[in-house]
Amino acid sequence: MAGSFPWLTLLTFSPIIGLIVLLFLPGTNRRALRWTAIVTTLVPLALSLWLFAVHDASDPDAFREKADWITIALNHEAVNIESSAYVFQYHLAIDGLSLPLVVLASLVAVMAALASVHIKKRWKAFYVWFLLLETGMLGVFLARDLILFFLFFELTLIALFFLIGIWGSLNREKAANTFLIYNGLGSALMLIAFVLLIATAGASLNATQQGGDLVYTGDYATIRSNLTAENSLTNLPGHYENPFALSDGMRWAIFILLLAAFGIKLPMLPFHTWMLRVHAEAPPSVVMIHSGVLLKMGGYGLIRFGVGLFPGLAEEAAFVLALLGAAGVLYGAALAFVQTEFRLVLAYSSVSHMGIVLLGIASLNEIGLQGAVYQLVSHGLISALLFLIVGSLHERTGTTELDELGGLARPMPFMSGMLLAAGVASLGLPGLSGFVGEFLSFLGLFETMKWVTAIAAIGVILAAVYILRSVLKITFGPQQERYAALKDARLIEAVPMIALMAFIVLLGIYPSVLTDAMQGSFDDIIAQLNARMGG
Amino acid sequence: MLSSYLTMAAILFCIGLYGALTKRNAVIVLMSVELMLNSVNLNLVAFSKYGVVPSLTGQIFSLFTISVAAAEVAVGVAILIALFRSRGSANVDEFNEMRR
Amino acid sequence: METVLSQYAWLVPVFPLAAFLILLAFGRGMKRTGPVIATLGSLASLVLSALVLIEQLGGADEYNNGFDWIQIGGYTLTVGFDVTNLTALMMVVVSLVAFLVNVYSIGYMKDDERISVFFAYVALFTCSMLGLVIADNLLMLYIFWELVGLCSFLLIGFWYYKPEAKAAAKKAFIVTRVGDVGFLIALLLLFWYMPDHDLSFAAIANVFGQTGLITEGITTLIAILIFLGAVGKSGQFPLHVWLPDAMEGPTPISALIHAATMVAAGVFLVARTFPIFEASPAALDTVAWVGAFTAIFAASIAIAQDDIKRILAYSTVSQLGYMMMALGLGSVTAAMFHLFTHAFFKALLFLGAGSVIHAVHTQNIHEMGGLGKTMKTTAWTFAVGALALAGIPPLSGFWSKDAILAEALHDHPALFAIGIAAALLTALYMSRLFFLVFAGKPRKGASGHESPAVMTVPLVVLALLAVVAGFVEMPFEGTGWFGEWLTGHAAAHEGTALVMLVSTAVGLLGIYLGWLIYVKGAIPRDAVTKRMPWLTRLLERKYYIDEIYHAVFVVSLRAIGRAFDAFDRHVVGGAVRLAGGAAVWTGRAATRMQNGQLQSYGLYAVIGLVILAAAIAGRRFW
Repeated sequence: MAGSFPWLTLLTFSPIIGLIVLLFLPGTNRRALRWTAIVTTLVPLALSLWLFAVHDASDPDAFREKADWITIALNHEAVNIESSAYVFQYHLAIDGLSLPLVVLASLVAVMAALASVHIKKRWKAFYVWFLLLETGMLGVFLARDLILFFLFFELTLIALFFLIGIWGSLNREKAANTFLIYNGLGSALMLIAFVLLIATAGASLNATQQGGDLVYTGDYATIRSNLTAENSLTNLPGHYENPFALSDGMRWAIFILLLAAFGIKLPMLPFHTWMLRVHAEAPPSVVMIHSGVLLKMGGYGLIRFGVGLFPGLAEEAAFVLALLGAAGVLYGAALAFVQTEFRLVLAYSSVSHMGIVLLGIASLNEIGLQGAVYQLVSHGLISALLFLIVGSLHERTGTTELDELGGLARPMPFMSGMLLAAGVASLGLPGLSGFVGEFLSFLGLFETMKWVTAIAAIGVILAAVYILRSVLKITFGPQQERYAALKDARLIEAVPMIALMAFIVLLGIYPSVLTDAMQGSFDDIIAQLNARMGG
Repeated sequence: MLSSYLTMAAILFCIGLYGALTKRNAVIVLMSVELMLNSVNLNLVAFSKYGVVPSLTGQIFSLFTISVAAAEVAVGVAILIALFRSRGSANVDEFNEMRR
Repeated sequence: METVLSQYAWLVPVFPLAAFLILLAFGRGMKRTGPVIATLGSLASLVLSALVLIEQLGGADEYNNGFDWIQIGGYTLTVGFDVTNLTALMMVVVSLVAFLVNVYSIGYMKDDERISVFFAYVALFTCSMLGLVIADNLLMLYIFWELVGLCSFLLIGFWYYKPEAKAAAKKAFIVTRVGDVGFLIALLLLFWYMPDHDLSFAAIANVFGQTGLITEGITTLIAILIFLGAVGKSGQFPLHVWLPDAMEGPTPISALIHAATMVAAGVFLVARTFPIFEASPAALDTVAWVGAFTAIFAASIAIAQDDIKRILAYSTVSQLGYMMMALGLGSVTAAMFHLFTHAFFKALLFLGAGSVIHAVHTQNIHEMGGLGKTMKTTAWTFAVGALALAGIPPLSGFWSKDAILAEALHDHPALFAIGIAAALLTALYMSRLFFLVFAGKPRKGASGHESPAVMTVPLVVLALLAVVAGFVEMPFEGTGWFGEWLTGHAAAHEGTALVMLVSTAVGLLGIYLGWLIYVKGAIPRDAVTKRMPWLTRLLERKYYIDEIYHAVFVVSLRAIGRAFDAFDRHVVGGAVRLAGGAAVWTGRAATRMQNGQLQSYGLYAVIGLVILAAAIAGRRFW
């Protein structure tokens, strides 16, 4: 069916093709630039939707692309070893965990490209970075080699740095710097963890007659099986002769490094402040991507690398994770309640919603993990929609300060209605996608930690409080003179709003679309956890 | 026997180091550097005579060092004179050419 | 008997949904046809649900159908619909009131420029409410439960430019959400405790019908949490505060959502999950006492209010308290019977109030008066509703209230006493309301005029229903088929003669008192106020519940938020700045070291050397 055509490569790098086209266009032709970018982003969307349609969980290798990419021979003078080398692969694949996020990324990218009409300067450079960003985030979800993953991850960082630093609002440079330093720190932690993993669990010995070829690789599957298989070198006791053994302390160190690295991205509770500035300063279309997709890389990483590689440790840390999640839910909600700037309200609401993701992850059962991914996708769509609206609002009113807004429902009924709809989606109203993610996460966690779930559920009330407070402040109330002449959404703004809303409703009333695709993708993790519990 | 030579060399080296790092006059700094080099020479010679494996190599090396030191002083003084001409001072505090 | 139409019962909520979608898509251009489409949608629902009811009355089997909604691993969440006698009855009640309110609103909302939006919301509400009714499992019921809450919110805030409407809408949503969280947690509990994780009502009845499958502690917990949800939705104490404020919405909405249907959903929920409550005496007691307390508490507030709609709102709270009390006493029959009759006469009262407000453009009863002469139909129908509410025979309210009181007398004399006291207060505030509005002389020159037929016809229909609805279940031999049919057992009949006598006497006494005070003037109006000004004040301010909540919850949440904000800014944010600052500071320090002075470089080199040497030496000895 898939044949040998590298569909995933095409998917990942199709934005680059558009980027090359863009380079040959004159920098002043705004229309041509914009439409080239929009059309370019449609390619990955079409491809990912097609993949979503044909994906078959029972055949994970259907689209796998694997090739040796970088080989570094090592001068390893050990007995019985013929040769040794670092081999990094170009390895892309999809499964039930990455597929929903790939679709989300490509969808939000299209919407953000449409929403970029409000960009005022240096369009060419903007779209170049934008498309690079898209390649980066698609690659992150598809890469199955640690080093490749890291490279894509860094690509998003750099692209976003420039997008914030050049096209942001007043304090853009400072915001970009904070962003880069903090995320750079996270990446450094991640790199350390990856290097430790590659140097130990990444090793595999191909026995030959002369002795064997020792290969260090960043291949996810290899590392995973080495970490979990009982008789792998990694799990044998750490003799002096066995440099591959991972002691418990080392495992914990790697696990915590990964937790911190992806926790920063998610953001997990004490690491969240960097993204407030990004939310407040970056151009809205970039925040759509940032809040809609990039934060999701944190959740994805936690599941793929944290829970996926160390299910046992995750289980031991589950209570702490759940507490962090619950604290994030309540803390974010309480803070969102007192903010006076709408974008900060949304930023803190992201903290709160990502807390729910953490709850789902901490449940470590199938319902909770699917709930976490569901929540990732749902929050991605909802926050993209919210920031799409915020961008259009800001374009018209020139402010997002809650105190200065009010009564916008009269001049802008469509956009106010959309804002209200997105708001209630965000507070988890059934029938819209937010509910399913929240409900599944709570349901999963409730099996193991009843009290934590019950406490976190208070966040559901608080979500209603802060969302309604801010959304009603903007749309309801007496009409204000200075906003009387504002125009409602134009077609190019309305189309992405309706499209996103349609997806939110679809996921809300027919969740099987997504859960069926995820079916079975956590079987490995669950099986290992069950084995641990049995043994 | 060896240790007294080494002690002597160490003392010389420290005096030289102290001078090189603290004196403001560039000429004295250069002289201090010479002092350090000479203490090294002393070490080389001492080891070549009283070391575990005595050999001539140490003495030959000290000859090398002396000639290199002479060349170094020549170049050093030349730079110093050039700097003195342009700055009108032999004070090392005022030389921060390397910062540029 | 064969089920034919019941198989298509799922279409009942689909009609209004279709109307909603049409209005949503094309509403703006349809100021005239929009309302008609919505009304037709609710009419279609009414017809179909009436046919289903007739089929069920004819003894058709219960029907259930559904499909998997989410399937995760070995767990399945389903959606489906259930046609039972109870749901068939509720469907008819909901779609009937919805249809009448739709008709009424065509007249009432005629001049509003967002009329099609209004009808779209009403259609969405109708759809959600009907969905709630036919849901066959608790999760699906929860989903629609939240959706009706959303519609209620949207409609309360329909006049979004009014700050009061905005505040009321927000309050309604948030306060009911407090209860909903209880419901949600009950749902989670049930999911993990039920065998096969089956949330359907049939399974719940089955499991909780047997003892020992689920421990009593858990049962009580689940029951109380579900009841918390019902408390929020049905405006029971202590979550009643949103319902009177919800009167900021258009009056037809108050009739439809905040009197007849949505607020009764709490009662419906408890009735639907009654096996859980039956398995836990503690939960039943809680329900009964909360209901009884709410009944008398709200009735006492209603006496001191001046806003016509608020009086009716507190009356609704009070009547819902009665229904809860009936449930707590173990009589689903009595509760559902009262729900059934209350839906008609309370919708009637609200629509009548709407008609009055439409005419005089005020809601303060002290500014009305003498409207009985100019608004004949409204006055007569209102009188029917008021008498039914006061429990005067032979109107419907009399029979249903008696059923509850008889249950109370049978089980719990204390609750009976409370119920009788609340009945007295009910009669008193209703006569006060009626006499001030319709009797006497016109005040403030507001004479009023009769509303158009499109508004009065629904009034008449509802008035007829308010008269006859009670006859389906009378406490005489052979007339109690309603209870038999609905729940399988009839209401209690012992001591009914006594109950009927006492309650009629009390109702008449209340009305007489009202007449003495407000028409005759035999008792001065400020008799109580003069002697006990604090009491009047306490009632007027609704026992200061709003103020207390504001102080306890809103202020403290804001304070917590502020504290967290400061923490976030200074401690957490400070840590981030520290991380950034450390990098900058290190850079600065390194720059300063790079001063171009050869001697400093030499010094650094020596220091480094010394450290290295010390490290090597130290390692040797350590």
